[in-house]
Amino acid sequence: MINSDTIRDKILFNNLRYILVFMLFFILATASSVKAHKVYIYAWVEGDTVHVESYFSKTRKVNEGLIQVFDTSGTKLLEGRTNKSGEFSFALPKKTDLRIVVGAGTGHRNEYILEGEETPEGSGVAAGPGKTTDETAVSPSPIQADTEHIRIIVEQVIEARLKPISRELAEIRREKGPGLTEIIGGIGYIFGIMGLIMYLKGRRKKR
Amino acid sequence: MHISEGVLSPPILISGAALAILGTAVGLRKLDYEKIPKTAILSAAFFIASLVHIPIGPSSVHLILNGLMGLLLGWVAFPAILIGLLLQAILFQHGGLTSLGINTVIMSVPAVTCFFVFKTGAGSHRFWVSMTSTFLCGFCSVLLGNLMAAVALIFTGEAFVAVARVIVAAHLPVMIIEGIITAICVRFLKKVKPEMLEVIYD
Repeated sequence: MINSDTIRDKILFNNLRYILVFMLFFILATASSVKAHKVYIYAWVEGDTVHVESYFSKTRKVNEGLIQVFDTSGTKLLEGRTNKSGEFSFALPKKTDLRIVVGAGTGHRNEYILEGEETPEGSGVAAGPGKTTDETAVSPSPIQADTEHIRIIVEQVIEARLKPISRELAEIRREKGPGLTEIIGGIGYIFGIMGLIMYLKGRRKKR
Repeated sequence: MHISEGVLSPPILISGAALAILGTAVGLRKLDYEKIPKTAILSAAFFIASLVHIPIGPSSVHLILNGLMGLLLGWVAFPAILIGLLLQAILFQHGGLTSLGINTVIMSVPAVTCFFVFKTGAGSHRFWVSMTSTFLCGFCSVLLGNLMAAVALIFTGEAFVAVARVIVAAHLPVMIIEGIITAICVRFLKKVKPEMLEVIYD
């Protein structure tokens, strides 16, 4: 009995050495190009326009990917295809949460929820039909017209000021591929599962 | 080859999951105590292989390694691939949890099939017979996997021939690379650690 146990220990020890070599090899091999084969989608609002960007990796965009836009109840509002640089823009159809789905063919699909709160207050849609822009803002009293003008000017200035910030936010929120944490974590899980299975099988064997 | 969530219809997802459970059950029955560490290594290798991108022209594709897993594990490739895919789905968002079953089937069935087709050749003592068989094992596992993915996608309304052509064309370089990797790995293991190859001699 003792003999077979020592043999088993030896086999395990030998295998563990190879585990370490394999792990090192793969970590080194992947460290340089950590990116996933997955389609990403991101959307942001600028004024009354929603911009959608879809990409596989930083350099590879989704060309001619089908973009579908749904509202909260699941009715399709519009659809279109991305251009060569993976972009698609459309006028904000409704001020609710929008579900934007990209289908890049051959089983690649992802979606992005554009929350209603992300759409800026006082953008064209919120004001209802008859867009409130400079030329349509016809008000009866001069004072009211003045405040209306100020409101529009302030809004324009703020929007211009915020543009770089919202761009940056979009960049930050953009999904990144998996990092080293996920990779090492995953390997850890696999060896954890290995330990668990060995424990269970070993216990059964003893009985 | 990872099919995302929400692409396939429930009947295909359910039948995929059922097949995956069946294969995993067979694999777990064949998993003896001594094989567990080897299985874990290959599962970890598979888990990471999908991050190794090979840039080809405008697009890039990733390694799958299912041929190598089949050759080294036989039926046990099923549970090993299932665990790898589960963690890829959770941590990398590759594929998805609902499509886990069908993705397992797409990658494991070719692995096991190629194992049975090529194991005699791979175990041959003649250098070129062994090399060619292991190369073909790696090559055909990816090819078969692509064809299975294309079959699964027909039911979504994408035309089979068109999808198959796109997937196979995109993966042709991967097939060749996988073939070479499988051949080199098996050759290396034969010299350094022949115990790893016990399944092909069973």
